[in-house]
Amino acid sequence: MPDERYDVVVIGGGHNGSTIAAYLAKCGLSVCVLESRPECGGGQENTEVRPGFRIDPHATYLYGGAAPGFEQLELWKYGMRMVYYSSMAGLATLDGVAANLGGRWRPDLGDEAMRRYSPADLDGPGRVIDQLGEQASRELLRALFWTPPHPVGMEVDPVDMPWWQVFRKYLPHLFFDELTEMSYVDFLDNFVHWDPLKVVAGFGAWYCGAHPDWEGMMLQSLGGTMLYTYASGAPRGGMHTYAHAIIRCAIAHGARVMTNAPVEEIIVTNGRAVGVRLSDEAAFPEKTIWADKAVISGVDVKQTFAKLVGRRHLDPSFLQRIDDISLKGGSLFVMSVICRELPRYHGREEFFPEEVYPSCVIAPADSFDFFREQTRDAYSHRRSPALSPEHLTMMICTHDPYDSTRCPEGYHVLSPIYLEMPPPQYDVSGPEGVNHQKEEITRAALELLGRLAPNMVGENIVDVFVNTPYDSEFRNAGMVGGNWYAIRHSADQWFSNRPLPELSRYRTPVDGLYLCNQTSHPGGLCLMAVPYNLMHILIDDGVAEPGNWWYPSPFYVPDGPSPSGNGRPLVAEGSR
Amino acid sequence: MIAPRGTAGLQPPSVRNGHGVHASEHILDEFPMTSTYDVAVIGAGPNGLMAAAYLARAGLNTVVVERRQEIGGGLSTEECLFPGYYTNPHAFYHMMVDYMPVLRDFDLTGHGLYFVKPNAQCGALFSDGSSLLLCNQIEDTKDSIAKFSQADALGFGRIMRTWRKLVAEVVAPGTYVPALSPLDMIERFEATSMGREVLRLSEMSPVEIVEEVFGDDRVRALMLYVACMWGLDPHESGLGFMVPLMIDRAMNKAQCYGGSHKLAGSLSREILRAGGTVIDNAEVVRILVEGGRARGVELFDGRVIEARAVLSSLPPPLTFGRLMDAGEVPGEMAEVAESWDWDKWSFFTVSAVTEVAPHYECDDPWVDDALMVVMGFDSTNDVLAHFAAAINGELPERVGGHATVETRYDPTLARVPGHQVSFFQTHAPYAPEGGWDSQAPELANRLCGLWARHCPSLATQGIVMRSIETPVDIERRVSSMVRGSIKHGDYHPLQMGVFRPHDSCTAGRSPVGGLYLCGASSYPGGLVIGGPGYIAAASVVEDLDGDRWWELPAYVKRYAEQYAT
Repeated sequence: MPDERYDVVVIGGGHNGSTIAAYLAKCGLSVCVLESRPECGGGQENTEVRPGFRIDPHATYLYGGAAPGFEQLELWKYGMRMVYYSSMAGLATLDGVAANLGGRWRPDLGDEAMRRYSPADLDGPGRVIDQLGEQASRELLRALFWTPPHPVGMEVDPVDMPWWQVFRKYLPHLFFDELTEMSYVDFLDNFVHWDPLKVVAGFGAWYCGAHPDWEGMMLQSLGGTMLYTYASGAPRGGMHTYAHAIIRCAIAHGARVMTNAPVEEIIVTNGRAVGVRLSDEAAFPEKTIWADKAVISGVDVKQTFAKLVGRRHLDPSFLQRIDDISLKGGSLFVMSVICRELPRYHGREEFFPEEVYPSCVIAPADSFDFFREQTRDAYSHRRSPALSPEHLTMMICTHDPYDSTRCPEGYHVLSPIYLEMPPPQYDVSGPEGVNHQKEEITRAALELLGRLAPNMVGENIVDVFVNTPYDSEFRNAGMVGGNWYAIRHSADQWFSNRPLPELSRYRTPVDGLYLCNQTSHPGGLCLMAVPYNLMHILIDDGVAEPGNWWYPSPFYVPDGPSPSGNGRPLVAEGSR
Repeated sequence: MIAPRGTAGLQPPSVRNGHGVHASEHILDEFPMTSTYDVAVIGAGPNGLMAAAYLARAGLNTVVVERRQEIGGGLSTEECLFPGYYTNPHAFYHMMVDYMPVLRDFDLTGHGLYFVKPNAQCGALFSDGSSLLLCNQIEDTKDSIAKFSQADALGFGRIMRTWRKLVAEVVAPGTYVPALSPLDMIERFEATSMGREVLRLSEMSPVEIVEEVFGDDRVRALMLYVACMWGLDPHESGLGFMVPLMIDRAMNKAQCYGGSHKLAGSLSREILRAGGTVIDNAEVVRILVEGGRARGVELFDGRVIEARAVLSSLPPPLTFGRLMDAGEVPGEMAEVAESWDWDKWSFFTVSAVTEVAPHYECDDPWVDDALMVVMGFDSTNDVLAHFAAAINGELPERVGGHATVETRYDPTLARVPGHQVSFFQTHAPYAPEGGWDSQAPELANRLCGLWARHCPSLATQGIVMRSIETPVDIERRVSSMVRGSIKHGDYHPLQMGVFRPHDSCTAGRSPVGGLYLCGASSYPGGLVIGGPGYIAAASVVEDLDGDRWWELPAYVKRYAEQYAT
């Protein structure tokens, strides 16, 4: 049997793995993607858990609307289609408020809610960012997310970071130096009056990456919510359609995609990654796959080093720092509820007619305290949240009012309903702890839903499906912590610090091994951003030579003579 | 009660698109509202994908549009046991892997597609703890039959000598060339001894054939079950030639490693690599016809795809009854659409996750290895009562069916290492009296009770997770399987051969210019045998002047020379 040999081997056919495969195949490289599950897409999935009903176990909205990848990879050719939603957000409180906040395509809905509940917020600076036009939004988002971290060790004044450059360009009247050190809550406290609105903004930010209380992450939090509102919609049929477009692009350009092919080991010789070894169960006869130019890990940074490279190739100090990367942040208890009627929050049916039903409702949004209690349960006490309304804030999503492909007529699917949890690794009741509480948590969440929307009881609820963070780790091998953006989006783990400073340029101590997972900058959300950023590095390293369809980030700083040396990462002792 | 047939169960077309808004600013490029191809294929099931793969490689610009999120139709591998466990809810194994030209023409097995064909193929468990095991190796099967009857064991060996030849030389190759008219067929078949045997068997019913060949009633029971399980009426004559095929294939089943969806994925890859397009979540709501010729399709979201040839893999009531205006449908096809008989029964399946591999208590440990294990039947009468109930629209008084441990030969289906995924399947009517809502859990419990009687570990160590799929669920998942018809229409003499779907449609061409039929409702039929799409592709290439890059396999050529030219 001949050797299985490619220019590039990509471990994992999730969002980031398939996207880099598409980019590199388009560059003319021979590429092989190895996916452990029967289907690629990773978190971009829509599972038909019950015939005719599809849920979103992970990714749910198109956050990546500003991605260069759509035009660079020409995903339209491979079936990419969108559904834009009239209303993206709403809120409900225990004391009877239900507000439709509309979204980018129907700002009038949000205006109406503000006039009714909080006139002071109607034109406040808190909403100015919503008024940024297409061009400014795209620039700001690309600066935040579609820009590779600067060379390792390069010193930059905070106000000159790419995102602050754009912010200052478009919103000079809003800029002051302290902004760069603020948490998002500081910003909200300054500019937003109505508490429920702050909860929605802060909670939304948490679900988009950075928790609003995290220091120095004001614009990243805000940017996360901007990602959400930028496209204000989802791919037709759900996020998996987007995954299909990417995978089909890769295949059309010649990439080989192998499913049911779990990787056991990255083969390292003389400090260089030269290939991978598949599990004996892989659906392929030859279990060793060689990579002439690069091995790209679409798996999280922890498993990449501790499991696939193996501790025997790495020094203990490096491994300790890998072990210490914080997983706190996006471990989700995901519920999907099949029902006959959409929730009628406190009977205010007239406020949420189906044509403008808020696709995502954050509730209960009474007080920032509820939401902070949940954070404290998850991150401080490191246990599942206490099951009382004052400890739970949920994000309740539904797509079928806007996309009929999700379920049969006469039904609705609330999916996902997210609850934040501690990562299984940190749960004081043990990694499986949350699974023992599955039914209890589900019951409490449904009771809370019933309090918020009195019709969500009895026969209206047809079926419920749950995936806990513990389940998600099994389902999605690269989704460490069951965390939808993998590792904490705090300043310590963002941009040049993500996942560790010496790994931030996607290179690793192992020559020829690159990182392409949401544990690298800028994180998750299916942005095609990690692969786009990684492309800059692969081009500089001579791995890839794109055609004239490629354009780099305007903020990209190549390696080269700089105060910090040649910009190559620190090399772990013993890895060569 | 006789199960209602015909189109009574059809719902009007679903054009519900959702609300939404048109983005007022440009966010990203999307698949265009109007596009033009040489060929548009409706439905990305096995036949649609196969046809498209041949046509794309023939240099024709080809698009496949699929209503579901996932391509494959019956070739599906999905996480039906959520979270973490995959099953193959439709085609779990494939019978014609030895023959399907597509596997060789595209060298699919050289590109990551593997079929596991174990020796232990089909077990049967009887209530007294005895068992039968049909193996791929004929002597192993004879050894097992001999436990019941020495004469049947020897008789089985002798009959399989003839039947294997009959399948290999006539029935299997006949799958990949257009159907012969009855007169031609009789004339050609009368000329050879094998042909005469096919004609003789055709006049017999499955029961008659099984009783002619076997003496022991338990042997007869299993043979009858495997002969009829995919859709033959045990008492109906006219399709008897399929009995040797079904029995021979019952010992040649192959499981697609990684799940049946891998076959769909492999075909899709061939389409993409040849420059074709595959889009999903794209239900076709209309076949566009102009001047009596099909000129494209319209999708539910208003997109229009223009094409020189439109291939429909849907059954006639959908192609002609739903997607075309009545005025555009030729009379004979309107009649077919109106009078089409859906499958005489559908299926009811319970899938289960267990921590340990199911182990059957019986006199033969090899039964645990069987790809499929039949249980619940001790006699031919039990089997006849089982099929009669399904045909009559009733739930059975005494349950029986077949079970499979899907992870036995494909551990990749379980995300939790070591856990096992299995299913128990039985034949069932689409609309039993009283409906499925209340009766499904009860039937599932009865099936699981029978299963656990033969497999005590299911009772003691329990089931971690279970899911049920009724015939209604089959239709809900794959809407072309109307009334749970996995074959897109019944197998009876008037809907088989040249009559599938109608004798005005030859070699996949329909009476409407530019419209071709390439699905399971066309000759030779369903069950992922790779016939209809292959045959239609040849016609399209000829009519559109594409590059006919493939040749008939040698065994098909030999058949064609003898019988079809």
